[in-house]
Parts: sequence; structure tokens; C-alpha cells
Amino acid sequence: MFKIFIIEDDKQLVRLLEDHLDKFDFDVKTVDNFETVGSQFEQYEPHLVLLDVNLPKYDGYYWCRQIRNLSTCPILFISAREGKMDQVMALENGGDDYITKPFDFEIVIAKINSHLRRAYGSYAASQNSRTITVGGLKLDVERMILTFNDENIELSHTEAKILDELMKKSERVVSRDRLLEKIWDDQAFVDDNTLNVYITRVRRKLATLHISNALQTIRGKGYRFISNWGHDE
Amino acid sequence: MKLFFREQMSLIFIYFLQLFLILLVYWLDGYRNMAVSGYAAILSICLLTGYLIYRYIRNKGFYQRLANPLTSIDGLANDSQGAGSPLAEGLQQLLKAQYSHYKKGLHTYKYRLEDHIQFINQWVHQMKTPVSVIHLMIQEEDEPKFKAIGDEVDRLKKGLEMVLYSARLETFDRDFYVETLHLESTVRSVTSSQKRLFIRKRIFPSILIDVHSTIVSDEKWLSFVLTQLITNAVRYTVKENRKVYFRGYKRGKNSILEIQDEGVGIPASDISRVFDPYFTGENGRNFQESTGMGLYLARQICEKLGHQIEIESKVDHGTTVRIIF
Repeated sequence: MFKIFIIEDDKQLVRLLEDHLDKFDFDVKTVDNFETVGSQFEQYEPHLVLLDVNLPKYDGYYWCRQIRNLSTCPILFISAREGKMDQVMALENGGDDYITKPFDFEIVIAKINSHLRRAYGSYAASQNSRTITVGGLKLDVERMILTFNDENIELSHTEAKILDELMKKSERVVSRDRLLEKIWDDQAFVDDNTLNVYITRVRRKLATLHISNALQTIRGKGYRFISNWGHDE
Repeated sequence: MKLFFREQMSLIFIYFLQLFLILLVYWLDGYRNMAVSGYAAILSICLLTGYLIYRYIRNKGFYQRLANPLTSIDGLANDSQGAGSPLAEGLQQLLKAQYSHYKKGLHTYKYRLEDHIQFINQWVHQMKTPVSVIHLMIQEEDEPKFKAIGDEVDRLKKGLEMVLYSARLETFDRDFYVETLHLESTVRSVTSSQKRLFIRKRIFPSILIDVHSTIVSDEKWLSFVLTQLITNAVRYTVKENRKVYFRGYKRGKNSILEIQDEGVGIPASDISRVFDPYFTGENGRNFQESTGMGLYLARQICEKLGHQIEIESKVDHGTTVRIIF
């Protein structure tokens, strides 16, 4: 299990990050005394550090330099300052990446995983490969493979994203807006019609695994994924 | 020269009056030798002329300075020529003192302004933490209530951004970095960052820009300008399933980015004033949350970056904004 050390003074933000990282099976430790960050780091020996710039006592750049004297672990800065100079400063002081507030969990997780992979080898990827299982239907989010009754089917990137979101919230309604937001890609913009097309495709893929009517349309609201196949088998 | 004569006029007048008076007194006394009187008068006038010429030469610089209009405030104290007479010297001293007081006052205000900008910067960055906390808290939720909170958070974010950028505008010269940018990817990253806005209003961007076209600009400031323009385009498009078109093309030597919406358009009576600060116009009254600052800031920033911005609109058909790089 990877150990992540969070150096951030906003309690709420720390709590949210902690909860979320916990879900992804990271061991998380946070700082409560900002005068002894260095010794707390030594004690905990984390694999990766999330570091804020504006801290009580000394700033993040200072602690980054201190940590660099002790370790070469990845250090990700999290800061409200989006200026180029701030980012340059962070990287010059020994940081590995820079995330600006407000940020999305996904970005933080993706960056953490990418840096862990780079720093500690590829076994990190296999360990963190995320799967969601609903009633025996397994979705491997990273490999984009859907498994049901030992049958595998490959998904496209967008299909995987849609299923990821629906299966995470199975039995609950997921709005169209949210799905659109999730599958919005830098390369191709999805409008309403495209989403319909993708939903049809997902249904077809589910059908090849002999799952039908699991993906329901809720008029005016969105979609719902229900594990209604249990008694069919 | 003119000024000199105007100033010496009274002296010359008094002098002639005096001369006339003296000659009159002698004449009334019975002294009637006009030749001697005339000789004395001419001699006296020669003396006066000599004096005037001497004065003129000595104070020539001083008068010239007074006659020439001041071009800048810095020229006031630096000029040391023309300090010939006590009067000129006194004036020079006065100006110098005045200038230093003025400079001091100016400096005080400058520092105060810088302090203020510093404060705003600090404050906005501090506010970003609570905003990101709310942002994270509602990220996993999908109920209408949380969506509404999300929209409000987006508005807060935009407001904070605007405060930050308008404060930074004052210190623009220290805060920009010009580089070659790919127009297409810059536009894409801005539209992606505004995806919630697009989706919420069911409006979608359509980017028709050559992948290889490049521009020279500052990414951060340009992104801010684009965000403002996109916000406007989306806000003033009422009907669903419309598009916002981003086109890139060349006009002569200049690259042009065109952002065209299919929204309500701007009335002809308002269009000349849309770049004025705090101007919201008819649309601003019909649509809430106009600040009147977006386009103003966009133009200010474009000017500083050396880009031109133009706007064209037809009511009920839409608005086209062009940035000329």
C-alpha cells in the first residue's frame, strides 16, 4: 500500500482528500503541527507528498527543499496560485508536478498514480487498477474490459467512462448532464445526440453479455443502471 | 519676447509719464530750450533701452521657459537654465519644492495601490480554498440541489477570477509572458474548462481551426479573454442545441480567431458601448448576472497584448467577436 503524506492547512480540504484517497487504497497521513513537518516526514516515510504552497510558519517551497534533502519521492504541489512563475518556482524547488485549486479528484488521483508508476515501477499500475463490480458484472476501468460469467468484452474509452459512472451509482439515476460532463473530451465534443449513440452502443455491448434492460432511460432525468439479471440466470 | 514686453510695459509707461512730467515742470518754470530738453530725453531713453536690453538678455531663458508649454511634469524641476534673476531663481526653488511634494504624494498612492493589489491577490487565493472544498464536496453528488450549488460555485470561481485579473491588469507589464501558442489547443483547453457551462445550457462548441495555426500571445491572459467571450456567448444564447463556432483564419498577415454564437444578439444602439466598463445595456437588464466588466477587461487585455478585438452583432441572429492577433 502506498503511503501519501498531505501537507495542507485547510482541514476540510484535507479531510476530503483523505476520504477520497482512502477509497483508492492509499495510506494517508496528514500534518497537524506545521513546525515539525520535516520530522513527521521522516517518521512516516511516505511514497508521495501532496504539498500546499501557502502554509503557516514556512511556505511549501521551504518544506519541499527540506524534503528533498531527505528523499527523492514524488512531490505534488497543490496551490491556488495559477501563475506561471509560481509553477516554475514549485518545480525549481524540487516539486514534480503542480495542481491548481480548485481541482477535480480525478486529476489528483491520475497524477498521483502516474507519479507513483514512474517512481516505483509498473507494479504500481497493476495494484491500483480500479474495478467496479455490480452483481457479478465486473468493469476494469483502466483496461476497459467488461467481464460477466467469464465472458470478456472490450469497451471503447467513452463506453468505459459511461459504464464507470453508471455502475458506480448503480440503482440510482445519473443525469444526462453528468454523463455529458464525464465523457466530454478535449478532442471530441459530445452533444445530446452523440450521447444517445453511445448509450445505444453500451446497451448493445451489454446485450452481447446477455444482459438486457439493465440500462434504463428515465425520461427527463437521465439513466439508471440496475442489476436485474440475477434471477434470470 | 512678447511676454517680456508685456511685463515691462508698465515700466515703460511710467518712465514716459515721468519724463513728460519733468519736462513739463521745467517748461512751466520758464525754461524753454527745447534742444537741451530733447537731448536729455533721448539720452535718458537710450539708458532705459540699454537697461531693457540687458534685462532681456539675462532673463531670456526664463521667459522662453514661461512661454513654452510644459510637455511633462518631469521637465518642471530638471530645467536649471534661466535662473538669472532673483525672481527666476525664487520661482525655480518653488517649483522644485512643489515637484518633490507632488512626487512624494504620488509615491504614497502608488505604494498604497500596490498594497491593495497585493491584498486582493492574497484574498482571492485564500477564497479559492473554500471554493475548492465545496467543489470537491459536491463532485460525487448528482441531485438537482447539488447541481445548483455547483452552478453557484462556478459563478463564484468566475467572479474571483475576474477580480484577480482586473487587479493584475494594473501590474500587467510585470505579469505576462509572450510565447508561440497553438491556437486550436488553446481554444480547446478553454472550452473544456467551461464544459459544465456548455452542458448546462445544452450548447456545444464547434471548433473549426487548423491544428497547425499558431499565434503569439500570453496563454494565461488570452485564456481569460476567451473565457469571458465564451461565457457571454453561452449566456446570451437562449435556445437549446445551438452551437458556438470557433473559427481561425488568416486575413493578410494577421491570424484571426472568430467566436460566433447563435444567441440573442446586441441591439445596434448598444453595440458601440459594449466595451465600456460597467455597461450592461439592454441585454444586461434582461439577463441577470451581467457585470459589464467582461468585454471591458477583454478589450483592455487585448490592447495590452497588442491584439485587436472587434464585435459584430445582429439581433436574434447572434454575435461575432473577432480577435486579431
